[in-house]
Amino acid sequence: MALGDLDGNTALGAEQLRTRLRASRLYLVTDDLSPLAEVPNLVEAAVAGGADLVQLRRKREPWPELVELARSLQGTCRRGGAIFLVNDHVDLALAAGADGMHLGQGDTAVEEARGRLGPRPLIGLSTHTPEQSLKAQQLPLDYIAAGPVRATPTKPEGIAVGLQQVSAAARVSRVPVVAIGGLDEGVSAIEAGADMVAVVRAVCAAPDPLLAATRLRAEAAGATPWRWISLNGEPRKSPPGEALLELLARLGVEPSGVAVEVDGAIVPRERLATMVVPKGAVIEVVHFVGGG
Amino acid sequence: MEEEDRLHLGSAELRSRLIHGTGKFPSAEVLAQSIAASRAEMITLAVRRLHLDGDRRSELEGLDLARYHLLPNTAGARSAEEAIRLAHLARAAGLSDFIKVEVVGHEATLLPDPLATFEATSRLVAEGYTVLPYTSDDVALSLRLAEAGAAAVMPGAAPIGSTLGVLNPHNIRLIIQECPVPVIVDAGLGAPSDALRVMEWGAAGVLVNTGIARAQNPVEMARAFAAAVETGRLAHRSGLAGETSQGRQGFGASSPPAGLPLG
Repeated sequence: MALGDLDGNTALGAEQLRTRLRASRLYLVTDDLSPLAEVPNLVEAAVAGGADLVQLRRKREPWPELVELARSLQGTCRRGGAIFLVNDHVDLALAAGADGMHLGQGDTAVEEARGRLGPRPLIGLSTHTPEQSLKAQQLPLDYIAAGPVRATPTKPEGIAVGLQQVSAAARVSRVPVVAIGGLDEGVSAIEAGADMVAVVRAVCAAPDPLLAATRLRAEAAGATPWRWISLNGEPRKSPPGEALLELLARLGVEPSGVAVEVDGAIVPRERLATMVVPKGAVIEVVHFVGGG
Repeated sequence: MEEEDRLHLGSAELRSRLIHGTGKFPSAEVLAQSIAASRAEMITLAVRRLHLDGDRRSELEGLDLARYHLLPNTAGARSAEEAIRLAHLARAAGLSDFIKVEVVGHEATLLPDPLATFEATSRLVAEGYTVLPYTSDDVALSLRLAEAGAAAVMPGAAPIGSTLGVLNPHNIRLIIQECPVPVIVDAGLGAPSDALRVMEWGAAGVLVNTGIARAQNPVEMARAFAAAVETGRLAHRSGLAGETSQGRQGFGASSPPAGLPLG
């Protein structure tokens, strides 16, 4: 796979790609209704408006046209500083030199996709239940999507699972969470625990896609997100204002019999209820196990 | 005599001189039965991260920890700082000031790092812990650890988990003889006879883990170790014939030399 595109812009390395993913707030998924010829302009406008990721989701086009479009969008995204993903097709991701791909629950298995793509490209997976979100943590992927938040004509078969699923995913995920499904504003999903907001119609069907993307990006960036912390060596998220005791409770941990250390200092048990999880905290929760 | 014979370690007063390890047992049930069979009153524990998702059960789940004196260890530490951090976590998790300082200085043998062991012991004593350092069979180091305030010293008979028995009996006996604090022989005791031997020499106690946990029948082996420790203790308190504080006496026939009808 060539690492540079025709314009000479160099592809990001695996680490840079993941760093950029973590800083992303707005994720555009192309719709299936706009004429194919309009997609490049739409993506150009969305990226100019601040879309951090773009996913090409077209199911019906002939293969050569799809490959050509994907290559062109990868170039647009790279020039605009966005990440470019394709939906489902590993072959398309490889042919276009895409930054990654998004998989649904019924699509190619994540392990298989990772095996074929190698370590650099990003892989995301749709999760519709807390169990799916939890199970996804064992897979070699880079983000999970949670939704559909609201009923949407884009996916008429999907049953809306609300912001609860976004929060459930955020509680267990060690990778970024993308809220998706009928969202037309950037605040509520971020406050429910998403790292970024994915939209289809809110940009694609907007009279001015650039303006719509700009507004959504600003809303998502202005909302108060959950904080990333390190919990027993794993990245986790904690909602703003969460007390340590609440963190333990949602992990199902009884405070008796455990010790909690925050940024290297032991937290006395009586302070667990009042001490708020600090932003970026390194937290260790330990207990006794057998030993000699 | 039996009623008065107690082992005092910090605030703990123990009837049983067998400290029971809790690692490497085949199941939580076997561990609980083994501790019961040994009648141990002090058990060792390790401090580890809680699993965030999924199965959190540990081998300790069958035990009521409140019934025992807990001796958490700092196993896994590679420096004095790491040992101290683990000690802080252990105290916070167990609300007990006892700590077995264990700092590995050589990966292949798990032999302790003498300098880091000494430093961690000194600092934790200063913080008010009841410190029992796991140390090598170096005599001078055991004396220095006692000076530093260790509540007991725990020289290893052999490398951890090796079950090789007492590799350097001379040094272990010297430590027992010279140390002003209780000497608990730790690590490498493979058979009850090993435990019996060091108890005869005057060890204050023994810590056994692998020797019990990896026996074919751990529960019965726990009972065997307990009996050996009691026997060795009784023998020591009874004063071995032919032994004085200066060491062994000369040889001598057990039957009277006079009156032989063979003239």
